[in-house]
Amino acid sequence: MEEKKDKKQKKIENRVVKIREKNIKELVKSIEEISKNMISQIRQGKSPVFKTLLRGKGNVFYDEKIGYFQLRERYNFRRFLNIAHARKFMQTTLVMEKAYEYLNEGKTAALREIYYDLKHTLPKSKENTFEEQRESDNVLTDLEHGLLTIREKLNVHADAKGSLYGDITMQDVKHNNDIFNAAKIGRGGWSIMSHVEPEEIKIKKINADYLLVVETGAMYERLVEENFPKKNRAILVGTGGQPSRGTRRLIHRIHYEHKLPVYVFTDGDPYGWYIYSVIKFGSMELAAHSYYLGVPDAKFVGMTMRDVEKYKLQNVTEKLKDTDIKRIKELMQYPWMQSKEWQAELKTALDKKIRIEQQALANKSLSFVAEEYLPKKIKAREFLP
Amino acid sequence: MANKLEEKTNKEESSQAKEKDIEEIFKEFKEHSVAEFFKKNRQMLGLFGKVRTLTTLVHEYVTNGLDACEDVNILPEIYVKLEELGKEHYRLTARDNGPGMPLDIAGKALGKLLAGTKFHRYVQTRGQQGIGASGVTMYSQLTTGKPVRVITGTGKKAYSFDLMIDINKNEPKITNEKELKREFRGTQITAEIKDVAYRKGEHGPLEYLRRTAISNPHAKITFKDPTGEITVFPRTSTQIPKKPEEVKPHPSTIGVDDLLNLARKTKARTIATFLKTELDRFGGNSLRVLEEKTKVKFNKQAKLLTWEEAEQIIRAFKEMRFLAPKTEGLRPIGEERILKSLKKIVNPEFLRVTTRAPATYSGYAFQVEAAIAYGGNAGRRLINSNQEQGHESRVEIMRFANKVPLLFDEGTCAIAKAVKTIDWKRYSIRDFENSPLTILVNVISVHIPYTSAGKQSIAEEEEIVEEVRKALMQSGRKISKYIAKKRREIEKIKKREIFEKYIPEVAFSLSRIINEKKENIEKMLEKVVLEKLSLDLSNEEEAKEILEEERDEENEGENLG
Repeated sequence: MEEKKDKKQKKIENRVVKIREKNIKELVKSIEEISKNMISQIRQGKSPVFKTLLRGKGNVFYDEKIGYFQLRERYNFRRFLNIAHARKFMQTTLVMEKAYEYLNEGKTAALREIYYDLKHTLPKSKENTFEEQRESDNVLTDLEHGLLTIREKLNVHADAKGSLYGDITMQDVKHNNDIFNAAKIGRGGWSIMSHVEPEEIKIKKINADYLLVVETGAMYERLVEENFPKKNRAILVGTGGQPSRGTRRLIHRIHYEHKLPVYVFTDGDPYGWYIYSVIKFGSMELAAHSYYLGVPDAKFVGMTMRDVEKYKLQNVTEKLKDTDIKRIKELMQYPWMQSKEWQAELKTALDKKIRIEQQALANKSLSFVAEEYLPKKIKAREFLP
Repeated sequence: MANKLEEKTNKEESSQAKEKDIEEIFKEFKEHSVAEFFKKNRQMLGLFGKVRTLTTLVHEYVTNGLDACEDVNILPEIYVKLEELGKEHYRLTARDNGPGMPLDIAGKALGKLLAGTKFHRYVQTRGQQGIGASGVTMYSQLTTGKPVRVITGTGKKAYSFDLMIDINKNEPKITNEKELKREFRGTQITAEIKDVAYRKGEHGPLEYLRRTAISNPHAKITFKDPTGEITVFPRTSTQIPKKPEEVKPHPSTIGVDDLLNLARKTKARTIATFLKTELDRFGGNSLRVLEEKTKVKFNKQAKLLTWEEAEQIIRAFKEMRFLAPKTEGLRPIGEERILKSLKKIVNPEFLRVTTRAPATYSGYAFQVEAAIAYGGNAGRRLINSNQEQGHESRVEIMRFANKVPLLFDEGTCAIAKAVKTIDWKRYSIRDFENSPLTILVNVISVHIPYTSAGKQSIAEEEEIVEEVRKALMQSGRKISKYIAKKRREIEKIKKREIFEKYIPEVAFSLSRIINEKKENIEKMLEKVVLEKLSLDLSNEEEAKEILEEERDEENEGENLG
């Protein structure tokens, strides 16, 4: 009996969160429901409660079968009458009301705009509703998890970050229905908005064989200048470091809606590997969103330790710092980095105590990366999984 | 020193002595020729350091006055005045309303060192040594070359005279003697002194008198400081404390000399009966053991006891076991009286007193009483040089030995040690040093084990330290409950303020989402908050005030930063 109960309990505890794409009507209703519940709690003389998903690392796990992070369905109850929660509860109701307003009026707002919209000094005190943007950002993340939706559906967006170049035709539904091709708007390409949901941006047509994600802005520019996308029928995405939610979402959409394979090209160092892992497996912080953001089929094209040998780049490697070594050792422990190939790659880096940057290829010649390195590697499917 | 003392009973009846009591007191006068000794060993008597010396001199007069009054059941009124005559040069006047003294007795009491009535008595007294008032005479004479001026009267006749000490003979020299035309009862002494300094702080005469007033609630004490400012410590009890009883010496503590002295005075005929009647806890069994251990003939006349025999007896005593000394006769200040006087003089917010049962240490009986006063005006207030910065409280430890305040040598004192070894956090006192606390500890005993002749600190006898600890911990537990309760109230108010600060925001947000008036939601939320905190509204006002004070202090801190 006990055992049975335990099993049942475990099953519930291990239930995975499924976040749905909710439409505006549904979201408005959800917020009204939450508020009504709060009022009835207050009427009963109880503390109003805001229920949201528990997002702690202990609640995140790597789902081997699917190949990305998932969040277990457990909840956090934020109570106004808990002195430790009171301020956050107050902030939550403010942000919730603001989101409700935007949804009803069909407006969109930036994270920073929400922050300034809601920031004011509380009466008879020196305390502000929000002291810094991080606070309102966090509360908004709580809200999207409480509503089991994604921030983008709440008409809230972040700064644009990341660029797209290549023969892809899209339509900006919310802006005069503009139709544009990302290979015909200059060298900079399209600046990826934080908000690339289908109801805003439609992908009309793609003329390409694969999507190449590039870590650094300099490499993105190099490849555009060398006319790499056209010559190789590639769509190019520059992340400019850690990819934004919008960039990840767009990669995800291109991959799933148009069946384009995704290849990732980063520096051969812990930071680059982490960028790859976020694109492929999703991130711990947004584990519940992996379904919308993760691309488990993505492949890693470079830089690799083998490249160093093959292209004789030893003299342009950089030494590993102590923090790099620590980070690599951590990466080697992660369940999602357990493939033979990756373990070997990381071990080599540790043994040789080196890392290699994308730009190191310029040591051969400026066009080497576009003319030789990438085309040959991709053709030969010389990838890390 | 005591071994070589000349012994001389003072049987001559003084013709002026009207009251029998007074005669009784001066019967036991003993004289010592130690003026020279005094001159060379001033520091042993606490007469070193300019501030300390002044306080010690004040102490000698005040103690004499209090004792004089209590001996004849008069409620004491003590008046002390200090006038600044020049640099480190003062005139000290002390007056009591006691029985006064006949002329020749007065001469001896004030002009003959070690001639007091207190020496060689097994009784809890303030001074224990008769160096007192004559010590002031000596000091005055040594630093200014001037006599002290004495006025003393027994109610009808009164005399004034000048008094000096003949240092070589240790004899009083009386000059300028006059009979006063008016009636006067009491004694007033005026002494000019140099090489002393007046301070207002915790080592000065004012603090000494304040503490004396606390431990002697039946006394009214008035002080006029060198600037002319008058402070009156009123009487808070009209009950004169019962006189401590003289107890018999305990065999484990008596010395050869004391035993011989007792033997000469005893009314018992044989040594055997002498021992049984004059010593504490000495009975037939003890005598039998003594007979085995010594060759003394116990049926011999007690008055004929020799030094050698006394030595044998004392040596045997050291090997014998006796019951712990009797503890009757000790006279604490008393819980009620401490409560009253601390309330009046310290005026704390909360106060608890503990009186321990008497205990013993190496053959002497002693007893401890302790009080902890919290909040209000309790604690030592540090007045900053910049008045606007206000004051902060530090813990104040008032040590007493036989009701006499100990202002110096705290570092070596058993009381201070006991205070230090207590984990005050267990009693809800988080920052002990900086808390508004006044701690009072009075140790009483027929024999206080002072660390030095300055008599300002009690030796760290294990049993005494332990008793002080227990007394403080008992009071601490009571205080702790109060502080914890109060803190909870303050916490509640702080929480309530936080909730109430956020209520309008929450109410506003919800009112915009659903159809409910903001004001209604606010009212409901306020109700929920109140219920949750279940505030005891009667305590609220008081707690609020404390909160305000704390905030002011915090703000001041900020301003300083």
